[in-house]
Amino acid sequence: MSKPIIEIQRLDFYFKEFKALDQVNLTVPTGSIYGFLGPNGAGKTTTIRILLDLFHSKNQQVKIFGKELQRHRGEILGKIGALIENPSIYKHLSGRQNLEVIRKMVGVPKSRIDEVLKIVRLVDNADKKAKNYSLGMCQRLGLAAALLTDPELLILDEPTNGLDPSGIIEMRELIISLNKDHGKTIFLSSHILSEIEKLATDVAIIDQGKILYEGKLQGLQDKGKGYQLTVELDKVDEAAQTVKGLNYTVSETNSHSLVIPIENRTDIPKINKALVDQGIDVYQLNSSDEDLESIFLNITKKLDQ
Amino acid sequence: MNLALELKRGISAELFKFRRTFVLWLLVLAPAFVPAINFIILFKKGDQIIQDGQNAWAVLLGNTIQPGNFLFPFFVMVIALFVNSIEHNSNTWKLIYTQPISRLATFLSKMKVFVLMIFFSLMLFAFFSLIVGYLLNVVKPELGFDQAFDKSLIFQACLKIFLASLGYAALQFALSQKSKNLMLSLGIGIGGVISVMILMNGWEYADYHPYGYHMFALRNVGPEDNMWAEMTTVYRSFIVATAVFALSGWDMVRKRIL
Repeated sequence: MSKPIIEIQRLDFYFKEFKALDQVNLTVPTGSIYGFLGPNGAGKTTTIRILLDLFHSKNQQVKIFGKELQRHRGEILGKIGALIENPSIYKHLSGRQNLEVIRKMVGVPKSRIDEVLKIVRLVDNADKKAKNYSLGMCQRLGLAAALLTDPELLILDEPTNGLDPSGIIEMRELIISLNKDHGKTIFLSSHILSEIEKLATDVAIIDQGKILYEGKLQGLQDKGKGYQLTVELDKVDEAAQTVKGLNYTVSETNSHSLVIPIENRTDIPKINKALVDQGIDVYQLNSSDEDLESIFLNITKKLDQ
Repeated sequence: MNLALELKRGISAELFKFRRTFVLWLLVLAPAFVPAINFIILFKKGDQIIQDGQNAWAVLLGNTIQPGNFLFPFFVMVIALFVNSIEHNSNTWKLIYTQPISRLATFLSKMKVFVLMIFFSLMLFAFFSLIVGYLLNVVKPELGFDQAFDKSLIFQACLKIFLASLGYAALQFALSQKSKNLMLSLGIGIGGVISVMILMNGWEYADYHPYGYHMFALRNVGPEDNMWAEMTTVYRSFIVATAVFALSGWDMVRKRIL
């Protein structure tokens, strides 16, 4: 396994009496897209603020690029680009001028502004005032600012929050391209499971300040007890009989589909074959989205009990 | 990276972000306000205002410094608000404090820009007043602006106002940085000015009131007196400014930034 880019060890964090983070351990592999998943108020943003030293950690709790955050703050922040929650943008300045403010602080050459504008596809609107920007453009401008120093690590807090579907897709493509084409490690938080699922190579799930799962995305899928197979077809009643005849249970039926809990992916072709043999037309078989959602819900719900 | 380089970067970023803002206009227009009124009054009624035997420049100096001294704290309040609200309003505290510049340097950059702004405006104020005198000499030579007068006095008086104002300026800066709520810093500032004006008519400790140092600093100073003989209130202003800026900076370095 490649060297971890972020290591968090036994991190506790309090807001007065309230324990926001409870013995958090995280290891983010270099080169990954790391999805940091949890419901609202779980401690995601708190963790991110600690990674950026907006909230101070104690010595030896956080290491980034193998170095202790509190000791090497400037050096580490110089290699991180961050986008935290709602965009931080000077509305009275144009997109380009916003980048110029940050460029002056980090001291990179002026030509870098055009490069990052190109990456986030904001060249055409760069000289418009930021107050006329859509939320999607604001987010992309924020990302451009984060990219100015050509950082090795990008920390993005809910980057698709509040965006419309096309904005979400655009942001997702951007993140994937930054990872694949520009070789950046991306630490990404979200409360939307399907979002992480489409992007991440590694995930961690946090709830009420505790890490409940950390590992490969595939590992999380395997962790589930089974799958839910949704079959779209005609002749629903006849199909239900056929499926029951194969010793499966049908958990849900409606006018054009069945939901069948299965234990193994190899059950899918078996069921499909049986249905087709019966002369039933199968339009769609779907086993991915919902089961991960239920695993996520199961994992985060356990703590409530 | 050393602090000097960090400060250079921080200050140039800080100055750049005020582009196309009202603040820059305010820095130039506000100091023109009193001189403009002085010009109109002296142009129209100068012959009545300047008594026989009085030096016209001394009259102009008095009419400049008195209202200037009264209005300056309000100007300081507004500038302190502006330099901080630009971050409060655009949600950019977290942006500037995640850049690879130490927190101390980021704080000091903003603080220095604030102090420079009020200094610049006050010097501009002195300069505009000087222009008024020279202009009146051309358009109304009979007023007597050709008499000999040490013109540097007006700059000296403004410099002393500036130094004696640092105390409450630091307070206004710290309040505006700490709180998004502009009524808090404005309320305390206006309360400070009003209270000192009431207290200075009799309360024996009024001299210690930080919102009065700049007024006491020029008390009993005539054109013939040495401006720099009495420095007590200036030193008090320095002490307050040092303590408040240090506390505010210390708070910014350790606080949790949302």
